[in-house]
Amino acid sequence: KFRMPTRDNLVPIRVDVEVDGQRYRDAFTWNPRDPDSEIISFAKRTAKDLKLPASFVPQMLQSIQGQLAEFRSYEGQEMQIKEKIMPLKIDLRVNNTLVRDQFLWDIGNLDSDPEEFARTLCDDLNITDPEVGPAIAVSIREQLYEIASQSVSAMREAKVSKKRRAPEFASNSKAMNNAVDMFKYFGSKGSVIRKRKEWYLYAPVVDVVPNEEVVVVDTTE
Amino acid sequence: MATPPAATATNSAPTPPKPPYKAPPFSQPPSTAGAGKTETPAASTSTAAAAVVAAVAATGAAAEEPSYIITVPSYSAWFSYDSVSDTERRLMPEFFQGEAAAASGSRGPEAYKYYRDTLVKRFRVRPERRLTLTEARRGLIGDIGSVRRVFDFLEEWGLINYGVSLPGVKQGRDKREEPVAPQSSLPAGVSAPKKLCIGCRTVCGQAYFTCEKADITICCRCYVRANYRPGLTPADFKKVETSEDAKSDWTDKETLHLLEAVMQYGEDWKKISEHVGSRSEKDCIARLLRLPFGEQFMGPKEDKMQFETDDDITDESRAEISKRVRLTPLADASNPIMAQVAFLSAIVGSDVATAAAQAAISAQSQVDETNDSPADSSIGSPKEEESCYTNGFSANDLLKEASANARVQLEKERKDIEQSLSDIVDVQMKEIQAKICRFEQKELLMEKERQQLHYLQKLLFADQLAVVQHQCRPHAVTAENEADENPKPVLTS
Repeated sequence: KFRMPTRDNLVPIRVDVEVDGQRYRDAFTWNPRDPDSEIISFAKRTAKDLKLPASFVPQMLQSIQGQLAEFRSYEGQEMQIKEKIMPLKIDLRVNNTLVRDQFLWDIGNLDSDPEEFARTLCDDLNITDPEVGPAIAVSIREQLYEIASQSVSAMREAKVSKKRRAPEFASNSKAMNNAVDMFKYFGSKGSVIRKRKEWYLYAPVVDVVPNEEVVVVDTTE
Repeated sequence: MATPPAATATNSAPTPPKPPYKAPPFSQPPSTAGAGKTETPAASTSTAAAAVVAAVAATGAAAEEPSYIITVPSYSAWFSYDSVSDTERRLMPEFFQGEAAAASGSRGPEAYKYYRDTLVKRFRVRPERRLTLTEARRGLIGDIGSVRRVFDFLEEWGLINYGVSLPGVKQGRDKREEPVAPQSSLPAGVSAPKKLCIGCRTVCGQAYFTCEKADITICCRCYVRANYRPGLTPADFKKVETSEDAKSDWTDKETLHLLEAVMQYGEDWKKISEHVGSRSEKDCIARLLRLPFGEQFMGPKEDKMQFETDDDITDESRAEISKRVRLTPLADASNPIMAQVAFLSAIVGSDVATAAAQAAISAQSQVDETNDSPADSSIGSPKEEESCYTNGFSANDLLKEASANARVQLEKERKDIEQSLSDIVDVQMKEIQAKICRFEQKELLMEKERQQLHYLQKLLFADQLAVVQHQCRPHAVTAENEADENPKPVLTS
């Protein structure tokens, strides 16, 4: 029952390989149904396009395959996603653009689409750099993946410790303590509309950073 | 080369579905034609005009104006920004069939269109540069597998990276093996391979002549006019084609492909250029001619002359080819001069060549008494001119023959077209008549129904009257009412 709680069951992959002083960092979305031969040809093609030496390829392969294997190891297992609304955060820098945002995401909606969200966000905020969109989508997916995998381990613990209910609640709340209490919002006194004083918390922030700062930040990283 | 504005118009006409491309303004003399090169849609546009325009465009692109030609192979003419064509639906079923058909977002037709439009737009911003998958997918929100498939599809169909190749990279089709330097110098083609003629100080167009003795480069016109210093003979000069050498040398593999294609496809230059890979039709033809036995293949070519009058250079090159075929058996002894004449007539266009030949004939009759030696490689200029005349005469003859041939074929084509048009009209008329028949039948049926309804209306009215009357006499026999009831069920059934 485990799957990404999005419409398309895609895995976020992050690659960070360093060979002979050259560093390759990348993040993208992969379809786990693609055959493994695709991974190899993708790694080779990327290395060729970026003019990286061939020594990069095995490490890239290892990294990607490892993450996919981890994803697949979750796949047969039970996952319990109740209707929970979780806040997700975006805090990333892509080339010259900084994006910081926070929003509520319905985990229980198995039809959600991080890609569409990223596209709309970029369009609405007039982000010109096309590389920002994929980064946002990957970031959202990673957070969702995290939540999903945590719920799997929570279920496992729950099964193991069936007789002891208290720890079950504890582990659940540990994973999901961020979940928003729906009742508070939609109860008799609450309203669906966000209070004005909380608007600033949920407004996206986009900064375009000049090149010098980018160089500085890169070196510190 | 005489009608560049007309050529642009025709160039834009066959390529309507590419809105982002604009025909560049003509600000440079056509003599720069030799430098730039693009591959043209094989359908109908003039290679020369496109080459000229592309040369302008190359410089235009260097000046950072968004005016350039984007060429798309004719087998991809279905592409349009506004819609997804059936070809795409058929070849990329993952986006269009099954559960994906109704999906939106990352799976369905919208996703495909988004990927495709973004990729094509990105490529067209810098059409000389190869768009790599890695670069492209970094700007695309979606999963890598789908993006890669769309990218490969577009690349295969020439909507992306058409005419561009990464140096030393083996592409999906192993047919291309271009050396690095000439390709990369293509977009800036204006600079390096320019030859200035020593005689007239103009840029040499498509070909020029080099002299080894004196290390001189002169253009075609100067060669003909013998505009070089005395002491040099025309035999000392060797003809060099700028277009051929500047771009790239034909590798053995390409030549092999070319030969295979010729064997397989015969005269279909479109297919041949596809088979060879990144060579335009003109290049293939030119290359074939340069091969030692090339003329054998060109034999039957004379029968199929094209009639596109706006197609100067293609016409000329083909005319040149047919002329060469005819001329070479005639005058083997005076090859350089034959080539010269053929070359000349190619440069100036068939009309001018005919006129020149006519003048030559009339002049020749005057000179005839003094000199009767035919084409002979000679040193002095009068003899040279004369052999020009002789050859001009035969050239004129052949031209006439060729044009008569062309006219006959034109007539045939016209008749065919008319015939098929009238057939089409007949079929349409039959269709319309059948429709009319059907409509008439339907009308009849409608009439009948209407009459029936009228009749029913009348009956109903009569019954209503009867009921009302009976109601007025309430003490009347109830049996009568019952009798009235009977007709009603009959009516309603």
